[in-house]
Amino acid sequence: MTVALAVPDVIVARAQAGDEAALEALYRAFETPVYNLVRRILRRPEDAEDVLQETFLEVVRNIKQYRGEGYLWGWIRRIATTKALMRIRREQVRETESLDEEPGKPGMHVAANLDLERAFDRLSETSRAVVWLHDVEGYTHEEIADQMGKTVSFSKSQLARAHARLRRMLDEGAQA
Amino acid sequence: MMHCTMEDLGALRAGEASVWARRHITTCAACQAELEVLYQRVAQLKALPALHPPRDRWPTIQATLHAERSRRRRTWGTWTGSLALAATIAAVLLVQPPGGEQGKLHAELNQAKQQSATLEDSLQQFDIDGRVLSGHAAAVVAELEDRISVLDGTLAQHEQNVRDAELVKLWQERVGLMRELVNARATRARYVGL
Repeated sequence: MTVALAVPDVIVARAQAGDEAALEALYRAFETPVYNLVRRILRRPEDAEDVLQETFLEVVRNIKQYRGEGYLWGWIRRIATTKALMRIRREQVRETESLDEEPGKPGMHVAANLDLERAFDRLSETSRAVVWLHDVEGYTHEEIADQMGKTVSFSKSQLARAHARLRRMLDEGAQA
Repeated sequence: MMHCTMEDLGALRAGEASVWARRHITTCAACQAELEVLYQRVAQLKALPALHPPRDRWPTIQATLHAERSRRRRTWGTWTGSLALAATIAAVLLVQPPGGEQGKLHAELNQAKQQSATLEDSLQQFDIDGRVLSGHAAAVVAELEDRISVLDGTLAQHEQNVRDAELVKLWQERVGLMRELVNARATRARYVGL
């Protein structure tokens, strides 16, 4: 999903002054891009909804600190990404990492009509985050590593492994 | 024959591939096809439809904000209430101020505190939470409230320690800010006809 949002400066200025209608206008402008981003990263829809809410609470509380450097979407996106990645870290114990690496597990059979979206959904949250941030949002490996608190090599190898898994799942889906 | 790994293909896509991978891809049809599949997969990912939030979260965000703002105002109101009480007590205690320069300072201090308390009462008429403010007016009011809060903090910390002349200056500064705040609220109330 390509986001090309331009919010009028006057709306941003009014939001910075605490005007509620302007704050709501910002929410309406960015709720879908933010939700889409965090939902693609996080496996559970309810987690994505929580991160959407947390993101906008932070946006509203800190909008005065936005200095107009760079796109507003870039600033909001960074907040959303950080919160989604924090949630992955916090719940890593619960996360069933790399479902696709456990082909023998019941229910792990790849359905015949598996398409890219479903294959992507089967990746671990960490892999999803790296693929989405790099391939769709255009983050560099350095930026991903910085936000995840990992190395550039980690980001690169996660991306390569995720694509190898996607390739394998799509092949299996096509053959089944 | 050795082929490109997914790391090699990713590096080729990023223009960071090894010399071997760059040479190999020019001659290997299988790896060229694999690279093309990778490009297509990324393009398909970018073209996935946007996912929309299933519920409107704005009411929850708005309610949280209102609760936070009320908390802040209650804190501020407690401070100003305490200061108004202090002003009243001071007025009672200073019925017979000492004479000379010291007496003059006491009188000025008493007057500033009384003015401040009166302005606090005036402010209540403009229903702090209820009015709709324009962006500019909201910014002015928020800044004045912030400055008054900072000043109240200074007064609360130093009222016992600073000299009377400095105390008078601080209280007079507070009166000035309160006057501006009342004016900002009153102007807005007149403007919207409330």
